[in-house]
Amino acid sequence: MTMWKRKLLDRLFSGSAYGAIAVMAFFLVIVIGPIFLKGIGAYLFEGTIDYRRMMLNQFNRGDEQALDVEWAEVKQERKIIYDALFAFEKELDNMSSSRRRELKPAFKQTKEAVAILLGPEPGTPLPALPRRLYGQTRWERAELKAKDVLFEESWDYSGAQGKKVMTPRAPLFKGTALEPLFSKIEKDLESLMRPERTFYPQFLTDKSIDAHFFGGIGPEVMGTIYLALGAMLIAVPLGVIAAIYFQEYAKEGFVFSLLRSCVNTLAGVPSVVFGLFGLAFFINTLRVSPGKSVVAGALTLALLVLPTVIRAAEEAIASVPRTYKEAALSLGAGKWRTILTVILPAALPGILTGIVISMGRAAGETAPIIFTAAVSVGPMVLPSEIFTTSTPALSWNLYNICTEHEAVDEIRHVQYGMALTLVMIVLALNTLAIVLRAKVSRKLKG
Amino acid sequence: MKNMMLLAASVMTGCLCVQAQDKLTLDGSTTVGPIAKAFAEYHMRQNPGTTITVSESGSGNGAKALLNGTCDIATLSRDLKETERKAMKEKGITPVQHVVAFDALPLMVHPSNKVKGLTVAQVRDIFTGKIKNWKDVGGSDLAIVLVSRDTNSGTYESFKDLVLAKDDRISEGAEYVGSNGAIRQRVQVTKGAIGYAGLGFVDRSVKALEINGIVPCVETVRSKTYPLARPLFMFTNGEPKAESLSARFLGLALTDKGQEIIEEIGFIPVEVKKTEKK
Repeated sequence: MTMWKRKLLDRLFSGSAYGAIAVMAFFLVIVIGPIFLKGIGAYLFEGTIDYRRMMLNQFNRGDEQALDVEWAEVKQERKIIYDALFAFEKELDNMSSSRRRELKPAFKQTKEAVAILLGPEPGTPLPALPRRLYGQTRWERAELKAKDVLFEESWDYSGAQGKKVMTPRAPLFKGTALEPLFSKIEKDLESLMRPERTFYPQFLTDKSIDAHFFGGIGPEVMGTIYLALGAMLIAVPLGVIAAIYFQEYAKEGFVFSLLRSCVNTLAGVPSVVFGLFGLAFFINTLRVSPGKSVVAGALTLALLVLPTVIRAAEEAIASVPRTYKEAALSLGAGKWRTILTVILPAALPGILTGIVISMGRAAGETAPIIFTAAVSVGPMVLPSEIFTTSTPALSWNLYNICTEHEAVDEIRHVQYGMALTLVMIVLALNTLAIVLRAKVSRKLKG
Repeated sequence: MKNMMLLAASVMTGCLCVQAQDKLTLDGSTTVGPIAKAFAEYHMRQNPGTTITVSESGSGNGAKALLNGTCDIATLSRDLKETERKAMKEKGITPVQHVVAFDALPLMVHPSNKVKGLTVAQVRDIFTGKIKNWKDVGGSDLAIVLVSRDTNSGTYESFKDLVLAKDDRISEGAEYVGSNGAIRQRVQVTKGAIGYAGLGFVDRSVKALEINGIVPCVETVRSKTYPLARPLFMFTNGEPKAESLSARFLGLALTDKGQEIIEEIGFIPVEVKKTEKK
């Protein structure tokens, strides 16, 4: 092969390697970027007066007096809207029946859109669901809902395909008592809603109100922590002991390779199979709990991460220099003592990395906990209840509120907030692994 | 020492018993899910200290959970099947049916779809695969994309009962999704799609078709004119004892507050006869 050919191939190879990294970075940016940008919106956003009222009523947070003053002002502003609605309703009664028939449906829609934007009209009976008790709590949602008041969305089916048409409502009501309502909402939305930059760190710890319409993701975060920690509590002792057996005690042979391939197979089992197995074995057969519970979920997750823990621990033990062991044995230490005081401490950084990374895996898995631990609504679980109570968890509830929830489009910020929180938890665990590893190995060297 | 352990054990079992009393586990339908979730939150707010958990894993799983004793109340958007009743009988479980609300099965299409309504027969032909293009039912030239619930779903069973003939099968080309919400999401982004879900899941992002000329809504279900309507159920093992948490929870569906919640979510509350009302 001539020199230039070899060089070209070499270039080609390193070029494709850089390309692969670039593609990976690109995907990382387009996946993580939106999660981060939109997820931050759950914590940091423009909250309206209705947000502050909701916080005061539901969580008892905020300055009540200042809010009273502000609320009185806003009520004064909103009065124009309600007066217009009231006056128009009266006007409607005195209209010719053809005109009434023309305006009534549009008026009904407008009224409903106003109720969604500003909350229930003062003086009317309060709705039963908290989600309807308040107007829009977030400014960007308020702007969107204001459009529903101002425009009528209809579909034009005259062409080959239907087309969305947004017709302003104001011209239809020109000259009626309702007219001021539209100009008020169009021009003065800010004074009607009073958006303010809001930082809501308690999103991480608050319980959700009315199926995630308001409030935070506290029970989910707690559930994820329980499940991940519980899984590790079970998987780590088992995994490390198994690794010691494989590395130090087991003799090559049929049983050894059988066990080995069992562990390898376990690593390749799809996670939903673990979920079904957990339901059939831990709940229906062993009856570790009367139904789904934190413990059943943690046991299932422990099985899932067990092969990873065994592998990591094995590799860490194998990489301890032979001389350490020989030195300990030559000084008269027994086999067990050698393992406990020399090999395990030397292998600790590798084992710890394996543990923390598996913990990230356990926190993110969904399928194993669907049937064993996760529920869509439930209160924060107390440590005393882990044997009896099932829990919401970030991974499963993210799926739940993105697909199964009755109002998926209304709670986008919660979905992204949950995704961000889960990604951050896993990221934090991985960073912890790196830091721990560095610290422990420095200590061992020192 | 032994005494101490006995004491500890008795205290622990005591705790478990107390917890069992104010704990309620619900599992099942994703259609009944919103009602169950709202009831649970309302009840927990009214009675601090109670723990109510709600899972939405599908009606079939709800029935299985009741059979295995892993839930207190199973929520189903269909009645129990004969096979399920038989299995429960063998296990000594006596399912008791409670109707909590009524629901319509609206057929949802993309809002750009020209078709305004269909007949039940047309819906049947569409879902069995006889009609494959919207132009055959008055729409534009666009292939029909069938979106159906999975076979674990009660909504799927109700749809089969209400629309399909006995030996009919849903066309092989259909997409199966795991929840009502997923049906709506699939339909709102697919021009040629048609799917069915609970009434509470219809919003402006999709168009609910008229069936036999009747719009699916609260009034038409109440007057029994909308042809595809069904009750929503909760099942318990045995009649719940009076004043127990289950009884109070199920009783919510008949109270004013509970009925308001059901209406606000978009379903149709059970009619309470004046004499029955407390």
